[in-house]
Amino acid sequence: MTAHAHPGYRELHRYGLWLFIASEAFLFAVLLAVRFFFTGLDRPEALNVPLGVVLTIILLASSYTLHRGEKAAEVGDQAGLRLGLLLTMGLGVVFLVIVGFEWAAGFVEFPASTPYGAVFYLITGAHALHLLSGLLVLASLYIQAGRGVLDEGNRWKVEAGALYWHFVDVIWLSVFTTLYLL
Amino acid sequence: MATTISGTGTPTIGSRGLPFAFRGLLWGAIGFLAGALLTAGVRVLLGYPAFALEPVVVIGYVFGLSGWFLGVGVWETWARGWLGRETVAYKPDGWRRYFGFHQDHKVIGIQYGVTFIALFLIAGLLAMFMRAELMETGRTIFGPAGYNRVMSLHGLMMVLVAVTAVPGAFGNYVMPLQIGAEDMAFPRLNALSYWFWPPVAILLLASQFVGGWDTGWTGYVPLAVVNRPGQLFYALAFITAGLSSVVAAVNFVTTVVKMRAPGMTWRRVPIFTWAILFTGILSLLFTQAVAVALAMTIFDRIVGGAFFDPVLGGLPVLYQHIFWFYSHPAVYVMVLPSLGVLLEILPVFSRKPLFGYKWAVGGIIGISALSAVVWAHHMFTTDIGVTTKIGFMLTTEAISVPTGLVFLSAVGTIWRGKLWLKTPMLFALAIVFNFLIGGVTGVFLSDVPADVQLQDTFWVVAHFHYTIVGAGIFGLFAGIYYWFPKMTGRMLDERLGKIHFWMMFLGFNLTFLPMFWLGLNGMNRRIADYQPSLEGVNTFVSLAGFFLGASFLFFIWNAVVSWRRGAPAGDNPWGARTLEWLTTSPPPELNFDGEPEVTGDPYGYGTDGPAHAIVRGETGGEG
Ligand SMILES: [Cu+2]
Repeated sequence: MTAHAHPGYRELHRYGLWLFIASEAFLFAVLLAVRFFFTGLDRPEALNVPLGVVLTIILLASSYTLHRGEKAAEVGDQAGLRLGLLLTMGLGVVFLVIVGFEWAAGFVEFPASTPYGAVFYLITGAHALHLLSGLLVLASLYIQAGRGVLDEGNRWKVEAGALYWHFVDVIWLSVFTTLYLL
Repeated sequence: MATTISGTGTPTIGSRGLPFAFRGLLWGAIGFLAGALLTAGVRVLLGYPAFALEPVVVIGYVFGLSGWFLGVGVWETWARGWLGRETVAYKPDGWRRYFGFHQDHKVIGIQYGVTFIALFLIAGLLAMFMRAELMETGRTIFGPAGYNRVMSLHGLMMVLVAVTAVPGAFGNYVMPLQIGAEDMAFPRLNALSYWFWPPVAILLLASQFVGGWDTGWTGYVPLAVVNRPGQLFYALAFITAGLSSVVAAVNFVTTVVKMRAPGMTWRRVPIFTWAILFTGILSLLFTQAVAVALAMTIFDRIVGGAFFDPVLGGLPVLYQHIFWFYSHPAVYVMVLPSLGVLLEILPVFSRKPLFGYKWAVGGIIGISALSAVVWAHHMFTTDIGVTTKIGFMLTTEAISVPTGLVFLSAVGTIWRGKLWLKTPMLFALAIVFNFLIGGVTGVFLSDVPADVQLQDTFWVVAHFHYTIVGAGIFGLFAGIYYWFPKMTGRMLDERLGKIHFWMMFLGFNLTFLPMFWLGLNGMNRRIADYQPSLEGVNTFVSLAGFFLGASFLFFIWNAVVSWRRGAPAGDNPWGARTLEWLTTSPPPELNFDGEPEVTGDPYGYGTDGPAHAIVRGETGGEG
């Protein structure tokens, strides 16, 4: 039994996570292509663009709060990390609640039985599911931070959770552009 | 909960009590019920009737899958860490190691191998029933509806076997050994990718209790939207399999790129490992597309979406675009690993260097790249427009260039070699023969006017069986005969192996060669009947098919007996140079009793070049 030479834990995991993100990006690329295939550049009048802007601002803010939390963790400030995680999760939940209201209104104006409606709910639904899984990751980090296990050796966990969350936010920007602006 | 293996002091679980796989079933069932009740509750709150089969199944399945994973061992080995608690290892001895969340790539490789041989045999049995129906004209055993159900189940199961068996068994077991790594990059993800498969099997079984489905493995709309609930289980099973592929692909690519032993530059990477790398890249990217196509189908079924209903403005042809955008690259996911096995075996048994190593690697890369831009050759009878069709015809024909490079590498290696005709070599040579027929007959299908005639005939059936069975499945068996000694420490019996080979090779060709003729003469696939003039040839094909089916009885007999009582294999029974042969059979827990270091070309057979690799600081590994 001997130790073999291989790259560090963090380098290996960062590479794997980027591959996973590439795969997920492909998922959304196909989904967004579906929108143009179905409805070209047409979109319903009833689409609430200002609300879309609000959603975008919320997610950008959540990326900022998470970044602050990550910075706090880097200097060993566990309380700052937990605050950042908590604020980010709060913004994520607000985002999902607003999407829920938007759907409820949308079901009347452009139901799933219209081409744009089908595209809209499938894409925003896929994004919401990713955001939900991101929330679960952040909740796990919050619990671990509370138990004091996110020390120097576990820095990667915070980095990974943050990277995934930022990715889901970037995906939202492309979803927002595709569904609300084009 | 945690017990300690005597002497080692490592906390471990799973050594006694209910095997974790059964606990997974229990927790999965509990999860399913919880999800179903939740769905019913939400439906009542929203003012719908409490029960509706498909929403309950979808949400119940998501919860059931979570329960299943926690039950098979994710809870103790992984999920406790998400709550900031200590995790423990799952390392029981003996048979129990295969019935839980074991993270050793060698255990997982054997889990994959045994599972997929079992699925292959069940799906093969279904093919026997299909040939019994087609033995005579008219209704023989199940008639049109039953035939299409059996055909669909055979098709999907075999596709999943072809996509997964070789990378699952040998990508996991052999590739980390070939690159001198102690395991895969992410052992837990590796176990995760395997344990997706029992739920897939359960879904396919359950689908048969709600009427099955009859769209074939392709699940074309609009039929797939209006079909029986079995179609939903088809979609969920396919998506679950896709998740497994993506998880496995992240692991394969990271492992090959990051975990190679010192000295293993890209020019010294064994060809099988190259094939696994590009298989991983294809799965990683394209699998997502099939998930989208199937999610759209589920969406239409459950909420009455407009995707594929032309009356609502939907586009059924879009399904085919998205589906084949994945499923053509998937064809190469089925074939590339086996071509890797082929080029791995040929130099060993020809005692010559691999011919044109660089060109073969280039061929693998070229096939992978082109596979992304050929999907519409499955759609030459749709309304996609003549210019588009011509474009896809040209890209498809261009694929014969990189494929030709791989083929030339194979033929050049055999050329003037001293062929050592052991069973693995016989299977490898058969791949060269079969793949040539599969490739040449594919050219006709890539040609638009010819394809308009041949679409959905038995020509297509014959062609893809020549590529996917003739190369993919023959590659699986070539790999089994080649690496079984490494995995079990025992040799397979040569005499039984040769009986299996000759029966399978002859049975395969006698079954599928006449199908080209049947297709040319107008016999349609996916229909339980045909014109009376084709009856004689069909009877012959069925008998040949039964002969092919019988060949596997010799394989099972051989594998079961040899695993227990076969002749000891030693470290390197074939005199091969690659790293998996520089350790014991089977290898120790961390694969090598020392530090592997790569010093030369992997295929310098019969040359004076340096050894491919050495293992430094060995403590006497001859076990
Ligand atoms: Cu194709």
